[in-house]
Amino acid sequence: MKIRFAATLLLAALLAGCGINSVPTAEENAKGKWANVQADYQRRADLIPNLVETVKGFAKQESTVLTQVTEARAKATQTVLSPDDLNDPAKVKAFQDAQGAVSAALVSVRNITEAYPELKSNDNFLALQSQLEGTENRINVSIKDYNEAVQSYNTIIRTFPDMIGAKIIHGAKPMVPFQSQPGSDKAPAVKFG
Amino acid sequence: MRAARVWTLALACLSACGPPAPKAPALALTGRVVDDADLLLPAQEATLTRALAALEREKGPQFVIATTRSLQGRRIEEYSIDLTRAWGIGSAQRNDGVVLLVASNERKVRIEVGTGLKKRLPDEFCAEVIREKLLPAFQKGDFPGGIQRGAGTLIEQIRRTPAASLGLWPQRPRMAA
Repeated sequence: MKIRFAATLLLAALLAGCGINSVPTAEENAKGKWANVQADYQRRADLIPNLVETVKGFAKQESTVLTQVTEARAKATQTVLSPDDLNDPAKVKAFQDAQGAVSAALVSVRNITEAYPELKSNDNFLALQSQLEGTENRINVSIKDYNEAVQSYNTIIRTFPDMIGAKIIHGAKPMVPFQSQPGSDKAPAVKFG
Repeated sequence: MRAARVWTLALACLSACGPPAPKAPALALTGRVVDDADLLLPAQEATLTRALAALEREKGPQFVIATTRSLQGRRIEEYSIDLTRAWGIGSAQRNDGVVLLVASNERKVRIEVGTGLKKRLPDEFCAEVIREKLLPAFQKGDFPGGIQRGAGTLIEQIRRTPAASLGLWPQRPRMAA
């Protein structure tokens, strides 16, 4: 009797330590962080049409660059990545590439505006530019948070004892972190003097 | 013998628990004004501290002014978010912290705003404060004046919001005045 009680207790302790709860918790955490990444990208996409209109008002002849950013945005909006595909490297890469194209197109827009002093001092443009910069900073922060959550999830499903539950019960697959984008660390910062 | 082995196993499972130790912040949080780069006058530091304490008491949001000599080779955006999070500025539920950070060596400035205050201090407003209040003074080397005017404008803007829409409810202050 006493032995059976001890065995039950031991089994419960072992199961609790074997990823029954920790694996889905870590997975939900990473998916939650992913939702923030997605919301920040969405916010950036929402700002672009207004930016294009504003720049057009001052720099009509720059239509190539403006078309580029509009097209990149359209493609990125179509490239949806569902939370359940976060363990599919190909789908994650497609999403990242589409968003990376938007980032690159926005850099070109930023570069052409240098030639239009009236545009650069336009209140509407200044507001949009600060919103875009703020959004890109938030994207970087949420990607970093997402990557940390993914790393901790991947560690849990690969290390003892949680890997037992991860393998047998949850069939857990590692999630794919975001690669840092070339140039994403070069978002302009306010400098004085 | 076998039972002993199982127990060792169970113990090993338990010992694997526990959160990792948090990273130490780049600056120590010594008060509401952390003037590490020595840009402010002592009297001004005291006035600002009082204004920031009153802001938190009456409206809720916690606002810290920080100056640093060096960003240690990091981007100001990263340095400032890590500092803000390590310090835990603002209420965790409302996420209503504000940090005004000035880096004297790199000549950079940033206003970090918690998501709970995004409506009251949106990006375009903070950019305008930097452009019109902070930079003109900083370019003349007038750090105390710039920080005074910039912080003043931010405080005024937060105060303009009725406490109800800031989501203020009674809670224990996280930092003594």
